Amino acid sequence: MTSENVDDYFSISDILTTQERLPCKVELPIYRLGYLDTSSTSDDLQPGTKLDLSFWMARALCSRKRHIVSVEMPRPYREGYREILTADANVVDLHKLGPYYYSYGVTVTECFQTRIRKIMDSSQNAYNEDTTKLTEKLDETEKCLFKAGQIGLNDFQRWETRQTEKLTTSEMVRSHRKRKRALMDDS
Amino acid sequence: MFIKDLRKGFYDEILHQRVLVLVAFDVDALCACKILQYLFQCDQILYTIVPVTGKEELEKAYVENSEGVKHVIFINCGASVDVVETLQPEESVRFYICDSHRPVDVHNVFNAVQVKLLMKEEEFDELPEYDSLFRDDDSDDDSGNDSDSSERSGKRKRFDDEAIEKRRDKRIWNENRQKILFEYNQFSTYGTAASLIMFELAWKMSKDTNDLVWLAVVGVTDQYIHFKTPRDKYIDDAMALESHVARHNHRGDDEDNIISINCLKIVFDEELQLTLYRHWSLFDSICHSVNLACKFKVWTLKGQKRLHEFLAEMGMPLSQCKQKFSSMESTLRHNIKQMIQDHMTKYGLTNQDVVIPSFSAQYGYKNKLCASDYVLACVATLENIDKNKSATDNFLSALDILQRVNVASLEKAVELAKKQTQAIVTQVQTFLDMHQVISAGPFLYAFIQEGTMDVKFFSKPQCLMRLARFTLEAHCSVSRNKRARSLPLVLGAPLDGEQGTTLVIGIPPLQLDDERKNFFGKAFEQAAVSTNSRTLHDSFDSYIMEMKTEDRSKFFDALISLLN
Amino acid sequence: MLAEKALELIAELQRTIDSTLGPYNEDTARHVLEEMKALFEQNQKDVSATVAGENGLFSGVQLRHAALERNKRCLLAYIYNRLQHIKKMRWEFGSVLPSDVKLNLGEQEVQWFGKYNKMLANYMRSIGDHGGLDLTQDLKPPKTLFIEVRCLMDHGEFETQDGNIILLKKNSQHFLLRSECEHLIRQGVLEHIVHG
Repeated sequence: MTSENVDDYFSISDILTTQERLPCKVELPIYRLGYLDTSSTSDDLQPGTKLDLSFWMARALCSRKRHIVSVEMPRPYREGYREILTADANVVDLHKLGPYYYSYGVTVTECFQTRIRKIMDSSQNAYNEDTTKLTEKLDETEKCLFKAGQIGLNDFQRWETRQTEKLTTSEMVRSHRKRKRALMDDS
Repeated sequence: MFIKDLRKGFYDEILHQRVLVLVAFDVDALCACKILQYLFQCDQILYTIVPVTGKEELEKAYVENSEGVKHVIFINCGASVDVVETLQPEESVRFYICDSHRPVDVHNVFNAVQVKLLMKEEEFDELPEYDSLFRDDDSDDDSGNDSDSSERSGKRKRFDDEAIEKRRDKRIWNENRQKILFEYNQFSTYGTAASLIMFELAWKMSKDTNDLVWLAVVGVTDQYIHFKTPRDKYIDDAMALESHVARHNHRGDDEDNIISINCLKIVFDEELQLTLYRHWSLFDSICHSVNLACKFKVWTLKGQKRLHEFLAEMGMPLSQCKQKFSSMESTLRHNIKQMIQDHMTKYGLTNQDVVIPSFSAQYGYKNKLCASDYVLACVATLENIDKNKSATDNFLSALDILQRVNVASLEKAVELAKKQTQAIVTQVQTFLDMHQVISAGPFLYAFIQEGTMDVKFFSKPQCLMRLARFTLEAHCSVSRNKRARSLPLVLGAPLDGEQGTTLVIGIPPLQLDDERKNFFGKAFEQAAVSTNSRTLHDSFDSYIMEMKTEDRSKFFDALISLLN
Repeated sequence: MLAEKALELIAELQRTIDSTLGPYNEDTARHVLEEMKALFEQNQKDVSATVAGENGLFSGVQLRHAALERNKRCLLAYIYNRLQHIKKMRWEFGSVLPSDVKLNLGEQEVQWFGKYNKMLANYMRSIGDHGGLDLTQDLKPPKTLFIEVRCLMDHGEFETQDGNIILLKKNSQHFLLRSECEHLIRQGVLEHIVHG
């Protein structure tokens, strides 16, 4: 994901993913950027200061050549959590751990594997149901997968009942109307 | 002019043309419209369909939509107005009128060029002679003018004599014409349902399907349910349809011929005349059906007791008949018709009160509906009183119900129909309890008070019609007045509180039920003219009109003296 | 924090991307540019100081540079994703945008929409045999030549290809050439009625 090809460079979700913060420790002094550490009033960032930096910032400061900061493994991905996930991955509220859990830490693939079964199952069988209960505990990637499954299911049903031939109002026009009506109702 | 061969005279004319279809607000019209739509889609005839509630809208719709249209079809509207005079069409425009309203305006009947009537000519046995209505007056006038301009003293006297003679002759002829016209227009009745005419057209072109048969069934049933056609006429039409039903639903008994449960199956049978009983409880249904409710007088204590007795004697436990019909014990459910017929004579019920030859449709496992319930569901949607829905919204929803895939909306419509029926019965009970049905001498009348519950239901013509009929039958069943059955009823319901208008309907006496001829159309008109009452005769049914509530008393005085 | 304003733009985009496009946020974009300018100037100063012999400034330069890059990425992503959305609008709304939607576009975006419109039109005119091919038509494979439609709103008069005038009034029903009314269906003026 960090490889910045064209797709990812403009990708909104990738930008948001790389905004997630990592616990870091400053190794070399960084002058005149002390304001990044809200807990101190010093002008500079002194070695040994611990602070959370965004992924994109940490990455720039922590290359093989130069070790300006050192990065710790974020908590949700450490041993302890990984044990919980192996025990029963399905019950964990991933959204609370971070809305971009997977793309942020692709390391925990077993967890993903276990959960994907249930997600796929429910996305293929929840027809005409309220799915908010099902989706609220999912991470963004999982939500995408669930949605894709649902779209497939609905399209199949529509095809079976011959509704695919029906021409419909464009999605944009529809939501534009809805918004307009809501505005009219408010005023 | 009547069209003898619908296919040649009508359908072949409009093939490859663009047509405008104006449709009135009744179930029969909806069914006919649906059949036409099917035919038009088969043959790729481009159409525009516009619903019209009354004469004013008819004119407006024509003006708005007539550009470039050479063929206009009227369904259950237009027959009673002189369409050429009212709409002033270009000469190349053709009007096709498929309307069950009678009488048909004589100008429509005798216009041989622009107006084509899609009706059964054999129903018009009382049609006046052409010569008694029209004669070439122009030449007379011309010669008269000539004589005026070329007054020469010598010839003058002779001309005068001739002119006087001519004028006298003309006067007599005119008087005679008025008389003939009055007799012709005196009664409003109904002819064959528009949907049946359209179905027969489809049949002649070998384009009929089982779905179209069902639409015709619903249209014909609508006429009967709203007391438009007498029982005999209904039975004639039903028999005609029965042969089509048999043709389309005939399958051999062997296994190979079994069709899918999801296909439409129509069955002809004697049907209980119980309102919506398959979707209600038996008890409720009896209390809300005109015939049985009036025979038992269910709104009295004694009547309730007799009804309970009747049910007990039939061996129908109260617990069973007060629960949903669909959850009743299956043996009772299947034998219900036989049980009622076995015990009815003791309670003064005749077979005619209890059953009527009718049809029911089945598709899928749970969707079984008889034609009359279908009509009630459809008309309840058509006359929905939801404030957020315009008349045309209701028109389209009702049209959708006729599409049988819409099971969910049909179920909703059935519930709505129940509400409508309940409102009618409650109102009838109020009339009787408060003694609000009053004899004015030549007729009975009743007015619904402003602010009564459910009064909105009765601002719609078909619902008001059913209320009027229910009221009259209920009144006759309790009245000690022997003449009650020979009296017609006038009923008024508040229409618009702000504008102070009332919707008024007049229905013929029960005694003359074999004909169902309604004379109130002309009577209302005359009473309104003679008193200068502010009335609006906009409806295609002439016996329904709107009036200013203030003008009520003077209008009624005039009506009484007129009918005395 | 650095590049915070830029992130605001992205977050805003993320919120509105599923419905209609929000107004072009010129204010925040300017803020971002200002921040970038300040970062750049600070870096230049540090670089010239380093050249002059001062030590240890490199980490700061590195950090600011990363922030510059980050800001640039956010800005470009903001503009790029909006353009994608505007492009889609051409296909969904048609060549004329509703006025309140158009109001949300920045000046350059309006220009871009106009140019895209023209390019698409030119392209469609150049393909096909007789006077081009309308690519916005028949997005779903047609089953019938004519279709039944209902009017969802008062739209006024509509002229068909053969010169007939049809009044599209709310709740009127028509049987029309599919190709003629497809656009009106997509614009929500007509509803296509399919018989199951």
